[in-house]
Amino acid sequence: MKLPIADSATVRAYTAYLLRAHLRPLSAIAVLHTCAAVLGLAGPWLLGRLVDAVADGTTTGYVNALVAVGAGAVLGQTVLTRFAQRSSMRFGEMVFADLREEFIETVTSLPLSTVERAGTGDLVARTTNDVNKLQNAVRFGVPRVIVAVVTITLTVVACLVLSPLVAVAMFVGVPVMLVIVRWYLRRATPAYLRESASYATLNGTITESVEGARTIDALRMGARRQARVEADLREAFEAETATLNLRTVLFPGVDFAFITAPVAVLLWGGWLVSQGHVTIGVVATIVLYTYQVSGPVWDLIFWLDEIQVAATSLARIVGVRLVEPDREVREGTPVDEDLRARGLRYAYREGHDVLHGVDLDLRAGERLAVVGPSGAGKSTLGRMLAGIHPPTGGTVTVGGVPLVDLPLDELRGHVALVTQEHHVFVGTVADNLRLAAPGASQEELRRALEAVDAWGWVCALPEALETEIGSGGAPLTPAQAQQVALARLVLLDPHTLVLDEATSLLDPRAARHLERSLNGVLEGRTVVAIAHRLHTAHDADRVAVVDGGRITEIGPHDELVAAGGDYAALWRSWQHESA
Amino acid sequence: MERVRSLPLTDPGTPPLTGPVAYLAWQARRQWGILTVGALLGVLMFSCQAALPYVTGHAIDSGLAHGFGADLWRSAAMLLGLGVVSATAGAVGHRYDVENWLRASFAASQLVGRRVSHSGHTITAELPTGEVVSAVANDALRIGEIYHTSARFIGSIVAYGIAAFVMLRTSVSLGLIVLLGLPTVAVCIAALVKPLQRRQAAQREASGRLTTLGSDTVSGLRILRGIGGEGVFTARYREQSQLVRRKGEDVAVTQSWLDALQVLLPGAFVVVLIWYGAHLAVAGEITPGQLVQAYGFAAFLSWPVQQMTYTVQSATRAHVGASKVLNVLRVVPATGARPGTRPMPPAHVPLVDEVSGTVVTPGRVSALVCVDPDASAAVATRMARFDDAAEADTPVRLGGELLAELDKLAVRERVVLAEATPQLFSGTLASELDVHGTRDAERLLHAITLADAHDVLDSVPDGLDGELPEKGRSLSGGQRQRVALARALLLDPEILLLVEPTSAVDAHTEARIAARLAEARRGRATLVVTASPLVLDHVDEVQLLVDGRVVATGTHAGLLARTDAHGAAYRRVVGRDLDEMTPPHGVARVGDDDPIAEEAFDELLQDEPAGARDRTGGRP
Repeated sequence: MKLPIADSATVRAYTAYLLRAHLRPLSAIAVLHTCAAVLGLAGPWLLGRLVDAVADGTTTGYVNALVAVGAGAVLGQTVLTRFAQRSSMRFGEMVFADLREEFIETVTSLPLSTVERAGTGDLVARTTNDVNKLQNAVRFGVPRVIVAVVTITLTVVACLVLSPLVAVAMFVGVPVMLVIVRWYLRRATPAYLRESASYATLNGTITESVEGARTIDALRMGARRQARVEADLREAFEAETATLNLRTVLFPGVDFAFITAPVAVLLWGGWLVSQGHVTIGVVATIVLYTYQVSGPVWDLIFWLDEIQVAATSLARIVGVRLVEPDREVREGTPVDEDLRARGLRYAYREGHDVLHGVDLDLRAGERLAVVGPSGAGKSTLGRMLAGIHPPTGGTVTVGGVPLVDLPLDELRGHVALVTQEHHVFVGTVADNLRLAAPGASQEELRRALEAVDAWGWVCALPEALETEIGSGGAPLTPAQAQQVALARLVLLDPHTLVLDEATSLLDPRAARHLERSLNGVLEGRTVVAIAHRLHTAHDADRVAVVDGGRITEIGPHDELVAAGGDYAALWRSWQHESA
Repeated sequence: MERVRSLPLTDPGTPPLTGPVAYLAWQARRQWGILTVGALLGVLMFSCQAALPYVTGHAIDSGLAHGFGADLWRSAAMLLGLGVVSATAGAVGHRYDVENWLRASFAASQLVGRRVSHSGHTITAELPTGEVVSAVANDALRIGEIYHTSARFIGSIVAYGIAAFVMLRTSVSLGLIVLLGLPTVAVCIAALVKPLQRRQAAQREASGRLTTLGSDTVSGLRILRGIGGEGVFTARYREQSQLVRRKGEDVAVTQSWLDALQVLLPGAFVVVLIWYGAHLAVAGEITPGQLVQAYGFAAFLSWPVQQMTYTVQSATRAHVGASKVLNVLRVVPATGARPGTRPMPPAHVPLVDEVSGTVVTPGRVSALVCVDPDASAAVATRMARFDDAAEADTPVRLGGELLAELDKLAVRERVVLAEATPQLFSGTLASELDVHGTRDAERLLHAITLADAHDVLDSVPDGLDGELPEKGRSLSGGQRQRVALARALLLDPEILLLVEPTSAVDAHTEARIAARLAEARRGRATLVVTASPLVLDHVDEVQLLVDGRVVATGTHAGLLARTDAHGAAYRRVVGRDLDEMTPPHGVARVGDDDPIAEEAFDELLQDEPAGARDRTGGRP
């Protein structure tokens, strides 16, 4: 299952909402930048006045006065720039912080079934890559676009105010520029996305080669891996060439449009001067303005381009908000702790049922082993029984209430799913445990750790319960990590546990130790154990054989062996070989 | 328009490994032609740009002196001509700049790629993965940067020279103000960059921690959603996010002062210039047009000055990048660094590990069993020769010849080791199974059947032509293991060493694979390191390893039936009588990817490489 990506209308609506929500600071920033930009126009204007003054013959006093005005303008612009830049950067920081916090909040409240099925890879990529890609655009892009737009507008306005007659000439290149920039921007986003994707592929290939260096060596894959790197480089080269070709049109096109402005202003202005309509100083000022405006225009083109690319990341971030809730809390209080499945069906894709009407009654306190070949639907059944996925058909109830009708907090108190996946969170051992019971006391934490046989090594850590673990902290072995996960379960204290091959990926010595820890958790609970290995089945109260999405055999181990079905055959071969 | 030469080149060449400077010089020699053209175009563009203020000033003077007429037309035409030449030289020059950059950085990436493809595990032993990947993701691009900026650097120097000449001819004092004032301003601003960088670094650090927190939360999301604690984690993220924001505001304070100074210093400089120039103009020493020229040069010259400081920075980065790339290029493979000295023995000879006494016999499927699965795996590994230095004391002979004295590739062709933690690679399923591309679809399907991996065909869209993602991540641990097994079987080598080939699959599947495996390898030599009775029952012969020596050899049933100490030892390893709860066999770390480390790493790669997206073409 793939997580949704927002379409451009949704992204636009979200952006508009963000802008509206921050209208006030945004306007304040625009005003500050406008004032700064107005003062920034002083230079060429003064120069024009000086040219005229010198041409007409003037005094040094007048020159000094004009220059003093210029000095004042520079000082004013300095102060205004300082405040405008500070407030716009602060604004960028604030908007970006809001955005990422809101995103994490959305992600952490995603429906259980979405999290299970979409996996975490895509979400992690959105949390790291997309959020990071967006940050340039939000933190720097937005303020820079404001500055550029304000500066361009004011420069044009200044020219028009000085002399609308002369100023019209400066627009001669604008149509060409608009056509070229539009042409470029339409093609730029896919081209730059292809470029960054090609580098990501290259980096992925190198990562694979380094991590799989032994396999490459063992299977004589060196030449092939080298060819792969070279193919990736070729794709990167082609992507680079494609963007280069776009720029080969953009750069000279825009440059050319820029040079037409002073040329046209000089000629047209020169004629107007000769006719006595304007002074040469005004023409000089407007010529200088046409040079000066090229900087902000390039800035604007660059950032529009960046923002377009960032919008694709925003689409992925906003997309997470589009996930619909998978359940609705309804009335109902479970009358007892019995878990019951009736006519259970599930399809990941419509029309492709993985489970075909499973009925199952769990007795409180029993241990049920679920065995069967890969792909038979064991794990799917487990997830239904734990209330992770709302079933496509049929129900799973606890004490008469469908699991998916329960509020999440309550569901967690009834049944929990334990998988081979374990994750140690960044934080202290206590932080890691308190997820399950935020108010748990030190004593309770100790008892939970003792129950899983982990108190010993936790005490041996430098700061015991307060030791930082997880990425960057004290390293835990996979078995220790699994024990932390089990201790959490003890604190959570559900009456039913669904174990999905919880220990199958551990090495045998660790697994042996862990099984003891596990026993501490299972004590007194109803347990559904999905198992690879037959010894688990042998020790269970009942065994369910799942094949092709159905329970084909169910009963105590001895009865099934006596019945002579599939299970009996498998058991015999295993028994025979190891006895 | 100039066509960029297609990359990567067939031969990236052999660089000197002595040091970064030698490396950079070597690369420059390899592309001196395009470097020269790029530099000439840079000079042309900057000269045109430098001439613009001069011509503009001249146009204003001519307009004043002669009104609207031929003189003004001439100036305007010159301006237009300069603009067109500059735009063209700029665009073509940008193509050469990019080609220079790509040529150098792709050569470095290619060299790293080759080294990584042929170094074996030595690369992982000597350098962290992140550093190797970063050599391609960042360092190679940084190396390219210096070749990219060189043309503009030379152009900048020439432009500065031209401006100096024109200004000094107009007025020595005015010229000196422009030429010395600007670098002074640049140096002042550069000095203020330090505190900014410190604060930026502080924010980056906080932000890195935030990213870690975010990816940590999301990686553990299944657990959080399963058992609770989302509130705690979002609160924690929010707290760090606000810290990052505050650090960002600290940056904003310094940055805004810097921005203000960037207005103040050049502004003050221009005010002084105009004041002085205007007085000269009033005194009649310069014309009004020359005053406009001086202003224009002052505005223009800040660009070449920026370019020069930027080039100095890129040179530093290229130097660092080159030394990092060299670290990778200097890695020497642990096996086969020297060519073989002995002829290959004939086909169908036994492979013998002398220290342990393990023998892989032609025509037999043997199993190696040990109470310590690491010990038996180590024996199998050295029998495939993976570290010449470390294995010097544990000689392995193929048909009597020491493995270490044979040609490495020839050994790899005949002896294939499939390890317990096999790595899959991204690509189509067919090409990842048939790594040498020599088998037809029928053979592929046969191998898939042998490894009982038909479910993989269903789970990859488009079956054999379907794409596997990086490291085969979309497959379960068991599926990955079976694909790897099918891949090893497809190679069909004379001698195949399999370490725990079925540790991550369920009992049903394992039983089927075991039966087919023995059949598929009939007539060839095979050694399986395992302790699974389901597999052991199907092999021809079992060798029991105790304390590093093979102490007993026989069939599975025979060893089980033995009444001596070896029989008891064997039963302890494969039987259930020791501990009911022990999975009957070996090490299986198929799914031990650390998602956090991996994602943090992916994220590292996403950092925009310096210079990789220079879209402005270095425009001011």
